[in-house]
Amino acid sequence: MTRLIALALIAASPVYAADFSEGSTAKSWNLYAEAPALFEAKVVDITCEVTGDCPDNCGDGDRQLGLLRAADGVLVFPNKNAQSGFQGATVDLLPFCDKQVEVDGLLIEDEDIQGATNIYLVQKVREVGSEDWVKANTWSKVWAAKYPEAKGKGPWFRRDPRVNAHLAETGHFGLGLEKDAELIKELFE
Amino acid sequence: MKLTKNLAAPLCALGALALTAPASATEGERIQITGEIIDTWCYFSGVMGGPDAVVGSAHHTCALWCSAGGIPVGLLGEDGEVYMVLKIEGDDQNASGDTNLNLASHEITADGMLYKRDGLNYLVVEKVVTDHGITNLNHEDYGVVPGFAIPEPKK
Repeated sequence: MTRLIALALIAASPVYAADFSEGSTAKSWNLYAEAPALFEAKVVDITCEVTGDCPDNCGDGDRQLGLLRAADGVLVFPNKNAQSGFQGATVDLLPFCDKQVEVDGLLIEDEDIQGATNIYLVQKVREVGSEDWVKANTWSKVWAAKYPEAKGKGPWFRRDPRVNAHLAETGHFGLGLEKDAELIKELFE
Repeated sequence: MKLTKNLAAPLCALGALALTAPASATEGERIQITGEIIDTWCYFSGVMGGPDAVVGSAHHTCALWCSAGGIPVGLLGEDGEVYMVLKIEGDDQNASGDTNLNLASHEITADGMLYKRDGLNYLVVEKVVTDHGITNLNHEDYGVVPGFAIPEPKK
């Protein structure tokens, strides 16, 4: 009976996120719910993993890539690479499609935000067996090669042709140019 | 056993599917949901402030930057759940694709398939039933988030 009660208590206890901080050298971003996390995983196409629709080479850069963690089979979603300017992680993980890797970065587990679980910022990656880490900071170079006409000073997001086309059409608030001008005037008066 | 031509083709197709599709892929559930297309990193990480500030008109420019930069987009439902968007009307370019970018900050009503995995919701939008445009006018409360999203006009 005591054993049954103990098992029932274990079953009823809340599930706590596993700790993957051992050995991590991830740099803090001072995020409220971040935790350093170093773990082994397989790089997968998330759409393929979830729905079974699987093109070659993990979608060739068009699809979000996930980390199927070796320790527990959890599908971790790398939302962010190591760069500071609004870049995702697909470009940095694509060379490792379908490979077993080690990743180091920051895991986000925030009980106060609905759904904020198994979200990851990847800072570096290496294939299992390799001694050389690759920094997850290649996005901007790939972007610059894709948009040579956007070469210039300042961060990429001020020069991105697609973003700038949207801003030119509907403004910074997305509410139309007339409203935009009115709000910007208020903002800087 | 010798396979007949009629039996061999479907079996080969099944074999090929078994080799390419992961064993963990699950059945989806049909769902119709209304919500805003958001950038999920700012929302989940709190890097730019609380959840109410990193959505809507206040955050529109940043939502464009994040979507273009390949940050995954999600649909923030009226139920408060975030649905990570995998496809929209057949477009599977969920990393920096044009369809996602064009819908940044828009409230949409979506009909599609819901999948759940390890605490996250995943959504294949089969049809955007209605695109309501930008309806969350939270610039009235938060101005612009982040503040540097709009450069100060040159005098």
